[in-house]
Amino acid sequence: MSGMECNSDMECSDSDCGDANYEDYYSNQIWDSVPDNDIDSNQQLRELEITAFDCLRVEDVERLLNENVELLSSNLKITPSLAKLFLYENKWSLQDILMKYKDDTLKITTDVTMNSLKFTDISCNDHLTELNCLVCFSLLSLEKFNALNCGHFFCKDCWCIHFETQIAQGISTGISCMAKDCTNLAPEDFVLSNVTKPALRERYQLFVFRDYVKSHPQLRFCPGPNCQVIIRSKELKAKRVICSICKTEFCFRCGMDYHAPTDCNTIKKWLTKCADDSETANYISAHTKDCPKCHICIEKNGGCNHMQCYNCKHEFCWMCLGDWKTHGSEYYECSRYKENPNIAHESVHAQAREALKKYLHYYERWENHSKSLKLEEQTLEEIKLRIHKKVMDASGTWIDWQHLFEAASLLARCRYTLQYTYPYAYYMESGSRKELFEYQQAQLEAEIENLSWKIERAETTDRGDLENQMDIAEKRRITLLKDFLNV
Amino acid sequence: MAALPRRIIKETQRLMQEPVPGISAVPDETNARYFHVIVTGPEDSPFEGGLFKLELFLPEDYPMSAPKVRFITKIYHPNIDRLGRICLDILKDKWSPALQIRTVLLSIQALLSAPNPDDPLANDVAELWKINESEAIRNAKEWTRRYAMDN
Repeated sequence: MSGMECNSDMECSDSDCGDANYEDYYSNQIWDSVPDNDIDSNQQLRELEITAFDCLRVEDVERLLNENVELLSSNLKITPSLAKLFLYENKWSLQDILMKYKDDTLKITTDVTMNSLKFTDISCNDHLTELNCLVCFSLLSLEKFNALNCGHFFCKDCWCIHFETQIAQGISTGISCMAKDCTNLAPEDFVLSNVTKPALRERYQLFVFRDYVKSHPQLRFCPGPNCQVIIRSKELKAKRVICSICKTEFCFRCGMDYHAPTDCNTIKKWLTKCADDSETANYISAHTKDCPKCHICIEKNGGCNHMQCYNCKHEFCWMCLGDWKTHGSEYYECSRYKENPNIAHESVHAQAREALKKYLHYYERWENHSKSLKLEEQTLEEIKLRIHKKVMDASGTWIDWQHLFEAASLLARCRYTLQYTYPYAYYMESGSRKELFEYQQAQLEAEIENLSWKIERAETTDRGDLENQMDIAEKRRITLLKDFLNV
Repeated sequence: MAALPRRIIKETQRLMQEPVPGISAVPDETNARYFHVIVTGPEDSPFEGGLFKLELFLPEDYPMSAPKVRFITKIYHPNIDRLGRICLDILKDKWSPALQIRTVLLSIQALLSAPNPDDPLANDVAELWKINESEAIRNAKEWTRRYAMDN
């Protein structure tokens, strides 16, 4: 934090100009502010989760792709269109293409003349002035024909209808020659020279560009709704990137929400499963629970799972409804699923019930942390109000209360990771590694709930305790990721 | 309906003049794009001696799109399901506008000679074909006798 920013903020508070400025100032993305008290863990965190990336516009990407195309086309003396096709087929690896070129496995026949055309089944006269098109069966003069570099000649009308049909079906770079068993792809210029309808040309160019980006290992479309940004990262890893325009955060490898420590395939499986089963799960895990002591109905209105009943003041855990005291002093294991050891001997029916029970255990926790994350956004608003009130009451200055925002942002980051530990645990095989994982998960969860509790109730400007808790929670998170994250 | 493309007229003429051995394809009287097809079961296959009825339809964008073909006669085959739908690459992604009705029907006849249980459409049939081929072939013969021989 620079001195300049502090000054301007103080001016702001002096003149009592309200929320507009500090709104902007404090509304950091949850990943932006890494507490700088531990440089080592910061670096470890960066290596584990963050990858270098650029946010590009469509024009930037076109320029980038064209640079490669020009390089290849001048290198091999081929048309840019053919160069583009080779690049697309070889995932934009110039090296691979040049290697294939050296090994002579690249299909380059640049000049297709009538001499190289294949006569199979074509009835033609001796002087070769007319050909029979194999698709429409029409006898036409030679200049009405055209072929790709594979030499399969068909009449231009048929090429046109072929391309129009394919484009209408959403196929673009994958359009191949019309000949039987010929997989030769049609380059861009050949397609465009045969398609005249403006709407279809436009559609084709759009699809082609989309395919180029998708085939490029360093490029990803931002998954944000209606966002045109294309993200470029040099390492294809399951790391986190953020779109600079729409602020969507996602995993660069799979394009889903960032999901450490779970890997791309597992999170996909998990989300599909949740989509299939969520109705049941939603039905079972209702939004309210009864206080285990006085049985009054309680709706959770904050992110913290350490609950205190407003009626009887009983403190309990929202997840297991057990007494919170046992969570604090004893070994915290609310996050761990206890498998029935005799399951192998039970009936199929009982096994199915056990499977559902297991799934619901993880699903409830996954859902619960997701809801807690949302509720903690509200908590942040409350913190702002509370700080405002405190400062107005001359209980500390704005600077004294800064740490609460850092704490809230760190809490969000920790809870986010915690949420994504549940699908990971669900798909883990039972054994010592899972035990270790669930042990670390439980530790992380306990520290997060402590932190959440402390943030919601921070009343004094005594930051030592809170900052200590922040440090512990983040260390637990890093430890877990270091041991279990594979990118 | 629009006039029949030259290609369809030519193909139909040729099918009539030089029929493929073991295959007959006759256009419907009211719809020149709809063909009544009969394929004879290939020799040395469990379908030998059977006459299998199929229907074939040329869609509007034929030959840019593949014809639609379906077995009407019940058949016990790993790549043909109980509705008569056929799993054959050239009817799907491997279609080429240079293929014709005649080549499609020849491919279907070849499929009867060489079932491919590794790319199944009828799962139960394919399963049996893999684990107990002799029983599967017995079933296929029985179905041929029962459904493809009475007329």
